[in-house]
Amino acid sequence: MKKTGKGGLLPSTLAGGDTLASGMAVTALALLAGFISLPILSLLLWTVNENSWRAMATPEARDALLLSIRTTSISMLIIVSVGTPAAYVLARKNFHGKRLLDSLIDIPAVLPPSAAGIALLLTFGRFGLAGKYLEAFGVQVTFTTAAVVIAEVFVAAHFYVRQATVGFSQVRRDVEEAARVDGAGSIGVFTKITVPLALPALVAGAVMAWARALGEFGATIVFAGSFQGVTQTIPLAIFAEFQSNLDAAVALSVLVLGFAFTVILVVKVLTARMTADEY
Amino acid sequence: MAVLLVPCLAIVGPAGCGVGSSDAGVREAGQESTLTVLAASSLTDAFGELTKIFEEQNPDTEVRASFESSSTLLTQIQQGAPADVFASAAQDEMDEAAKDGLVAGKPKIFVKNREVIIVPVANPANIERFRDVAKPDVRLVLAEDGVPAADYALKILGKANAEYGSGFEQDVLSNVVSREADVRAAVNRVVVSDADATFGYASDYTPDIRNRTKVVQIPPDLNIVATYPIAALEDAENPDLARDWVSLVTSEEGQRVLEEWGLEPAV
Repeated sequence: MKKTGKGGLLPSTLAGGDTLASGMAVTALALLAGFISLPILSLLLWTVNENSWRAMATPEARDALLLSIRTTSISMLIIVSVGTPAAYVLARKNFHGKRLLDSLIDIPAVLPPSAAGIALLLTFGRFGLAGKYLEAFGVQVTFTTAAVVIAEVFVAAHFYVRQATVGFSQVRRDVEEAARVDGAGSIGVFTKITVPLALPALVAGAVMAWARALGEFGATIVFAGSFQGVTQTIPLAIFAEFQSNLDAAVALSVLVLGFAFTVILVVKVLTARMTADEY
Repeated sequence: MAVLLVPCLAIVGPAGCGVGSSDAGVREAGQESTLTVLAASSLTDAFGELTKIFEEQNPDTEVRASFESSSTLLTQIQQGAPADVFASAAQDEMDEAAKDGLVAGKPKIFVKNREVIIVPVANPANIERFRDVAKPDVRLVLAEDGVPAADYALKILGKANAEYGSGFEQDVLSNVVSREADVRAAVNRVVVSDADATFGYASDYTPDIRNRTKVVQIPPDLNIVATYPIAALEDAENPDLARDWVSLVTSEEGQRVLEEWGLEPAV
């Protein structure tokens, strides 16, 4: 990037060009930043003014946060371990019906989560397509933590698989071929060459998927139900508090905001370090 | 224009956003007015029918009804959601709204409702009478804390404890597998048969679910009758329309419609 030497607010590539256009672009960015920060500021101000910090330390809040951490961790484990090889196949192989399969994986992303919840309920509920067989074995899915994980995986997997597919398809085949010529097996090439090269995309996809799983509300409340410590994740706890105690609902929102922000920041710093080490 | 509408939409819908609202009392012919009614979930069907009647009687008026648990509606009103009428499923929420000076005039009790137990028609947990909800392994769902239907259920269990011996309430509560957002959500758990039972209002046993569910009565001496107050709101965009709505609901015709949907007339 060429330096303009002015050191002003405008990005250097914009400053040299059409000033009106760049001015408009910068205004748009400022509007967007304001639009996003205002609601966040409102949450914080309310918590400070009402002094409702204590609501973050209630058993309900603690159980909800722990449940969210537990369920999103399991969901991410499932999404990454199944999604990584699946994304590789989508990126590398051509087969009959690939386009159809591709669109199928995108469906949960365009389906409203409440609709996803109803679909899951009709699948895994007591008289559901799969549920009736599980019920025969005495396995009940709805109202359990497993149902929360199922809902999270269903709505979030797409975000990881999509990014990972793009990441894998950008890894040059000749690099993989060269490693293979050097005697590496196909699993060795995958884990030692392909995955490290695609890592930034994989991490970005995982963060998106995790954020989606953390925020999951519609499918969970419809499918899994809401019970403290079992199915009541943070978004559900916020909604439950909103029915009875607005201050607590705001405090929980601030809590999840801080939690999500910290996780994303840590991941960004770690990936920056990892990619810096690579080169 | 579109930008200005967005914050209004986010609250309860475009009603009361200044679109089509005329000066109080002046309704010009051909100009659309909007009446926003916030009502307890258990009124969904009856008020849906009353909406049609009201719109026939007032051709230039559009009724926008929003159905949530009374506690959610109260929060929305306290947060300044634009609305003309509030119909609550419990006295407490209306009292609170009145205490905050949000209600115009004196609220009227317009209908009564009793609690029942609703079970799937196949009745997998074999609940034949009220006491059976305490049996082990019954999957019971309740509405969220603070939702009147659930609060009444807890009061009923408290009374039952005195009659059936201590431990009854605890046995029932240990059967609870989920607290749903409102009564309708809890009833739907029973409709799809994932839950074995829920506490709902008699009005929740609507015609469309009668082939999938059945009712188990709660003994009258233990039951609690819910009284529903209705009031026009202080900040109503259309105070006249709000009054007309309350009149319709408390009229003979309105009471007949409410009765059709399982509610007990109270005017």
